[in-house]
Amino acid sequence: MAKRAALATACFAIFFCVLLSGCVARGPMISARSTELEQTPFFPQKRFQCGPAAMATVLVASGISTSAEALESSLYIPARRGSLQVEMLATPRGFSRLALPLPRNPASIIAELEAGRPVLVLHNYGLPFWPRWHYAVVVGYDPVDDVFVLRSGGKRRQLMRSRRFMIAWHYGGRWAMVVLRPGETAALDDAQSFLEAAAHFEKVASPADSHATFAAAVRRWPGEPVAYVGRGTAEYRLGNLPAAAHDYARALQLDSAQAGARNNLAQTLVDLRCPHRALAMFEGRDLDSLPAPLRDASIETLRGAQAAAAVTDDAAHCESFP
Amino acid sequence: MKISLWRKCSIAVLSVSMLNMGMMGAASAAIVDTSALIATDREADLVAIRTQLARADVRAQMEQMGVDAAAVEQRVARLNNHELHQLATDMRNAPAGGDALALIGAVFVVLLILELTGVIDIFKKR
Repeated sequence: MAKRAALATACFAIFFCVLLSGCVARGPMISARSTELEQTPFFPQKRFQCGPAAMATVLVASGISTSAEALESSLYIPARRGSLQVEMLATPRGFSRLALPLPRNPASIIAELEAGRPVLVLHNYGLPFWPRWHYAVVVGYDPVDDVFVLRSGGKRRQLMRSRRFMIAWHYGGRWAMVVLRPGETAALDDAQSFLEAAAHFEKVASPADSHATFAAAVRRWPGEPVAYVGRGTAEYRLGNLPAAAHDYARALQLDSAQAGARNNLAQTLVDLRCPHRALAMFEGRDLDSLPAPLRDASIETLRGAQAAAAVTDDAAHCESFP
Repeated sequence: MKISLWRKCSIAVLSVSMLNMGMMGAASAAIVDTSALIATDREADLVAIRTQLARADVRAQMEQMGVDAAAVEQRVARLNNHELHQLATDMRNAPAGGDALALIGAVFVVLLILELTGVIDIFKKR
């Protein structure tokens, strides 16, 4: 009887394993070309320190001078014996770099490799219900042998069969990120996630870095209003008010409901001594229905424009602004 | 007694006003951050308060988890609202990448299960 129960359990275990590996069946192989970023540096990890080591690898590859040891104090959590994804994504911002999470498919990893950027991935070498998390950096892929090349743990050049890579990556939630310099955009065409990352970057970036980032977005996605707003705000912070006004106006042309662009344009017009033009921006607009931060800013801008318009006419140069 | 009540009140007022100071945007005038165009939360006031709470929560959890007190401030300051919320809710259970070595452990457990269920027979003496 006991034997039969054991047999049943075994069958179930095998069935379960097959089922799980079926989920990550290899799928169409992703690239015909062989790529390896041999110049990518290597930081052998200390115990539990794969997060700082992997982060140092991608940061140094992107031209930053740092080391795994230097990053430990900003990434390692002793009680968790590891580093968290949220902090991995937040770290590059402190180094004038943009962190971009990638779409959860292997094609995005290959595309980034082919664009010359190593890809930081989260692997799970345990089981879904007994996870063992590990960060590694993908630096190459060879379609002939079907292997990924990794900087991982203590190994400078670890070769991993793509099937094993995919299982570990799948169990790790298919999480991957790259580090972009200001002025670079991602290899794959995903405007939304880039602009989101860029908007987070803007809060800590210098105006020049922010400008380079959004200018690249404008070149890549000329139909995206948010890209123009970002570049406009960088121009504004750099003191180029006419250029800022033109970018905001372009964003409004693309999307007339873009309340952030409208507010920023109106404020820029006030600063350019064109308060009447600024007031005209708000005509017939229901500010109270906007989300709170936009509503508050718009009302403040409107009041400023009203106050300025009461005491002065628009300057002569205002004709040249939208 | 009176003084202490007065003190309590002024501390409360000051701390609320300090919280408000923290919520103001960095940009000058009324230029809004580009992130305001992307965020979809309509109740920003509520979000701001929740963010303050999340920040305090993350700070406390990090110290509890053994992060050096000097590093905690810098690490928390780096996070945006969304990241603070994520960490506040999930810091104890979110994946924490640490080591590759445990693979051997996983293989061992699988072998042990197979052994115990009688599928394989590698641990027993013959």
